[in-house]
Amino acid sequence: MGVRSIDEWFMREVLPLEPMLTRFLQRNRCSAAEIADLSQETYVRIYETAHRERPVLVKPFLFQIARNLMIDRLRKQSVVSLETVADFDWINIPDDKPSSETQTAARQELRLLQAALDDLPPRCRQIVMMRRVEGLSQKEVAQRLGITVETVETQIAKGMRLLAQAIGGRRAAVTTEARRHNFLKRPRNAR
Amino acid sequence: MRAEEIEEQASLWLAREDRGLTPDGQDALEKWLAASSRHRVAYLRLKAAWQRADRLAALKRAPMRAAPAPPGLWSRLRIPALAAAALVLLFAGKTYLESGRQPELVYATGLGQTQAYQLADGTRMELNTGTRVRTEIGGGRRIVTLESGEAYFEVVHDASHPFVVQAGKRRITDLGTKFSVFLNGDNVRVLVREGRVRVESLPGAAGAAPIVVEAGNEAITQGLGALVFPKPDSEIARDLSWRNGMLVFDQLPLTEVAEEFNRYNAKHIQVEGNARKIRIGGSFKADNVSVFLLLLQQGFGLSVKDQGDRIVVSR
Repeated sequence: MGVRSIDEWFMREVLPLEPMLTRFLQRNRCSAAEIADLSQETYVRIYETAHRERPVLVKPFLFQIARNLMIDRLRKQSVVSLETVADFDWINIPDDKPSSETQTAARQELRLLQAALDDLPPRCRQIVMMRRVEGLSQKEVAQRLGITVETVETQIAKGMRLLAQAIGGRRAAVTTEARRHNFLKRPRNAR
Repeated sequence: MRAEEIEEQASLWLAREDRGLTPDGQDALEKWLAASSRHRVAYLRLKAAWQRADRLAALKRAPMRAAPAPPGLWSRLRIPALAAAALVLLFAGKTYLESGRQPELVYATGLGQTQAYQLADGTRMELNTGTRVRTEIGGGRRIVTLESGEAYFEVVHDASHPFVVQAGKRRITDLGTKFSVFLNGDNVRVLVREGRVRVESLPGAAGAAPIVVEAGNEAITQGLGALVFPKPDSEIARDLSWRNGMLVFDQLPLTEVAEEFNRYNAKHIQVEGNARKIRIGGSFKADNVSVFLLLLQQGFGLSVKDQGDRIVVSR
């Protein structure tokens, strides 16, 4: 299997599971940095496995890996409190039914993206909007705002990271209510 | 290295790629990706998120916005409007005039929105940005009240049941025609594309003599006064270009052009100093201010400053 087709498979089959993986790790009391590390390690193992053989059932495979990685991590800790072990969510793998959060209904997806966008810092949001929504090039954005292309590039990079975090469910649960409120309040045609 | 650091590197690569990579840069990126699966999965993850943000563009193009010049009316009609029109036609059919008085219907467009409707009598009505109309069609009456904004009508003529548009203190009666009415403060503009209309004061209001406006003319009324002047077809087409989501200008002072854009967009353009007198021509999508501003900046070397609540243009 070529690299390109593995990449496509990975983006199509594995990455959409990220919100579920995040919740799984959060339930097991992983910190934000641990979630980032464990997710990445999980992805690396899946990705490398796919070079030899593409797993047929992606989800059980992904959670198996994640669980093993958590066990490894616990073993390396010098002191493991009984409480941690007792609380450990060993068995409870998210079921197959997509939760309302992961349903990929187009409208919900748009709402999720809109919320993710709303949560960006104002400057970053403005630049991401101009680039992604209005379709201006980075150079055009820089000219419009009277800033350097390098600044635009840095803000775009930041926007990408924050959007990916939001889509993967990794951002601290910013009051969903407040976001919904903001979303509804925004005039539908305002830019 | 921690995942978050790799993520940051990956995001910088993607941003650089988004800006446009030289062949050398492309090679460097390939090398970075090949160096470790960690790099590659971080890169793919961010890329997927960035690609999904593409859908936001779809959000912006969603039906709330002015459509870019589709070929015919039917493609411009919104499905709900179409369905509603179809339903009304199905039940009312030709009996709309004989049936009892119809409930008043209100149609409105938001900022930057244009929308086409078919009224119960078959008349086509198109609303420009920020427009609100009430219609009473039935019981022998065909009355449309323009409360704000601008509307264009292609009337199914019926001499025994005149089609009447009320706007401000004026009443415009269709005499077989296609025309638009723009209510701007207490000033009413009536542009006649085909046929003719009668413009008169509303009953009860202090009246000026009724005037008949023929095709190819525009009437502008203010208070008791009314001015009618001829308009070449090209100018009429230009004034009605909003129906296709376009704004067309012919050597108009920049202040007036900005006012036109400001009808469609919440963030207003303010032109300052002697830049106000610059005359410009051209055609723009009404909802794409950024292209217009970009041209002002690049074409005329004007300064364009985004001040948050408004955009200031000056020399």
